[in-house]
Amino acid sequence: MLSRDIVIIGAGPAGLAASIEAGKAGADVLVADLNMKPGGQLFKQIHKFFGSSEHHSGTRGTDIGIRLLKEAENAGVEIWLRSAVIGIFPGNKVAIRKDLGDGKTELITLLAKKIIMATGASENVVRFKGWTSPGVMGAGAAQTMVNVNHVKPGKKIVMVGSGNVGLIVSYQLMQAGCEVVAVVEAAPGIGGYAVHAAKICRAGVPIYTKHTVVEAVTDEDGCVKEVVIAEVDGKFNPVAGTEKRLEADTVTIAAGLKPVVELPRLLNCDFSYHGLFGGWIPLHNKNMETSVAGIYVAGDSTGVEEANTALEEGRIAGIAAAESLGLIPADRADARKKEIWGRLESLRMGPFGEKRLKGKEAILKEYKERIGLPSVR
Amino acid sequence: MDAFDVAVIGAGAIGTSVAYHLCEKGLSVALIDRGDIACGSSSHCDAVALICDKQPGIDTVMGQASIDLYGELSKRFEYDFEYDPKGCLYVCETDAEYEAAEKYVSEQVANGCDMRMAGNEELCEMEPYIAKDLKGGIYTPGTGAIAVSPYKVCYAFVEEAKKLNLRVYTYCKIRKILLNEKTNAVEGIETDQGIIRSNKVINCAGAWAPDVGEMAGLEIPIQPRKGMNLVSEQTERICFHKILEFGYMMSKFDNINFKRNVSPLVEEYNVAFNIEYTKANNLLVGGYRGFRGFDIRSEIEAMKAISERALRFFPCLKDIKCIRSYAGVRPFVKDHLPIVSDVDSVPGFYIAAGHEGDGICFSPITGKLMAQIVTGEETDFDISRLDYARFAG
Repeated sequence: MLSRDIVIIGAGPAGLAASIEAGKAGADVLVADLNMKPGGQLFKQIHKFFGSSEHHSGTRGTDIGIRLLKEAENAGVEIWLRSAVIGIFPGNKVAIRKDLGDGKTELITLLAKKIIMATGASENVVRFKGWTSPGVMGAGAAQTMVNVNHVKPGKKIVMVGSGNVGLIVSYQLMQAGCEVVAVVEAAPGIGGYAVHAAKICRAGVPIYTKHTVVEAVTDEDGCVKEVVIAEVDGKFNPVAGTEKRLEADTVTIAAGLKPVVELPRLLNCDFSYHGLFGGWIPLHNKNMETSVAGIYVAGDSTGVEEANTALEEGRIAGIAAAESLGLIPADRADARKKEIWGRLESLRMGPFGEKRLKGKEAILKEYKERIGLPSVR
Repeated sequence: MDAFDVAVIGAGAIGTSVAYHLCEKGLSVALIDRGDIACGSSSHCDAVALICDKQPGIDTVMGQASIDLYGELSKRFEYDFEYDPKGCLYVCETDAEYEAAEKYVSEQVANGCDMRMAGNEELCEMEPYIAKDLKGGIYTPGTGAIAVSPYKVCYAFVEEAKKLNLRVYTYCKIRKILLNEKTNAVEGIETDQGIIRSNKVINCAGAWAPDVGEMAGLEIPIQPRKGMNLVSEQTERICFHKILEFGYMMSKFDNINFKRNVSPLVEEYNVAFNIEYTKANNLLVGGYRGFRGFDIRSEIEAMKAISERALRFFPCLKDIKCIRSYAGVRPFVKDHLPIVSDVDSVPGFYIAAGHEGDGICFSPITGKLMAQIVTGEETDFDISRLDYARFAG
């Protein structure tokens, strides 16, 4: 059977950063990703990042992606694209449906000494009448269409959700030539940063707070032609008689993200519920190791945050996995991890970040109390 | 304090049926499970009850009685458990298998079972997508081969029994069986939800029955045997019956006399092909059995072996995606017969467990027989071979 020191699942910022650290330490690293391109969500983030210079402020997501890919290449990392990990089986056997080109695939099982799961997050859905009709999609999908594939998802768009994703994607859809008819937000206030909201307000897009989508009305072909929105009461239920009808052919939903956790579930990792981070997440310690020995997590799959925190968590996982294989001396590994945890702390500052800092501390504490040391399963 | 005529331990296909049949007799019954209803083997299995995989004798008698009961219950119960008399085909790859199948059929027909041989041509007509080179097979109509939703069966028994005042204790862990110090007779059960008083306790804990037996000082020779299936995406109907390879029967009874022409992987994992469609039009494809303790994690090698074997019989499966695999444990008994019995040394203690892969099939009849045993009635037929005492000495 084929084997690798470290198999990393997901070639987004967390997975790539982990692969760079482990690869530089001399580990034999394979990254598997089911997308056509590596970089995860980075390549659709054409906007400039905020934050400090050490965290790529002023740099666009796409440029960070290109830089990471270059570094991974230099570190000798092998990346299998369009290749889905279909399961992890007893004895750390990772089964991968490898793409061979020309539509051919091969199921390959390989033995991994260590596994790092960096599978990211998936979009939440909002259900309303007509929510399965063509024209209703996740905001992330719409963003991929305009920024990566250069295809407009529709002409007239209703964005559901006013968090940063909803606001930024609205703006990018407008840049691509779509008309954003309205942003609809169930909460009483706008969810994302004021600077993003101001941009789309200046362009004349109304933001309906305390509103929800009631129905996507379809034409004779079943495609969206009109969107009915209504005010909500204190329990987020639509108030009868407050309906507004908006002409639109597309509804994009930015209702938050949840960690993708099928693989750690398969491995019987211990989980904990953290609404702040998107729901159920695999618990981890300061090495980003789960309750199962030799299995690491990083990035959104262990709590939805953003690209920079994913990247730093990935680095820690990569260093810790290489350290456990004896490829990095403990003192050097400790110093590096400490430095990165410091940077993570600075990323989790400010009015939005502090809750996440406390949340992550709670996760580490819970791990200590409930699990203590990772065990072999 | 809670007190009942009978306490049933285990809310799977056996325990729920036993509880229902006892309620039907007018007894007050508690049904206890450490998890939820159907959380063990009954939700980790496939969905058919067949007469054509039974050995002649008690196995067949019970099987037919149970299948008939399912038909009656499907009419009587308000709760729909997806009863589907889909019929079954046991297909033969070689002439030697075909001959053995013919012998089996003539024996079973003599026992009153409704089944017959179908040749290659008829097989290909009944199943247009099956491999064209098979020799034929055993055809059993819906009178002897049905499908049900296994966990809905459990819920059906529970819901119907609730109308007869069944009391259900879920997520209730048993700590102790309370026995009389002098007579060793059952007096109740100590649980983490308090003491449940009852002079009769029925152990329907399937593969976990030995743990419950131990609390009454009994050794119950049941072992967990793992079974695994694959689930396909939803497809158009490509198979129209439950279909199994004849070698499956051999694998089930551990006496493969035929050297099948299979790869080392299929051989190693003791894989025998079977397939069925579900109500939602996903396919369930099996099967593999092995001893892995209570570890029900999927094994990639077994998945590969099942797929390989399935493609031999249904080549068109190569274009249909597998979306999932699952495994469960079956309560294995060495002589492949369940234990449906009282226990001499512990008055008031009964066992209905050890049905291996036949728990769903035998569920209705086991409940009926156990209710007869508990109330001291004569059983429908002689079940001395199912006695716990057969393991003595």
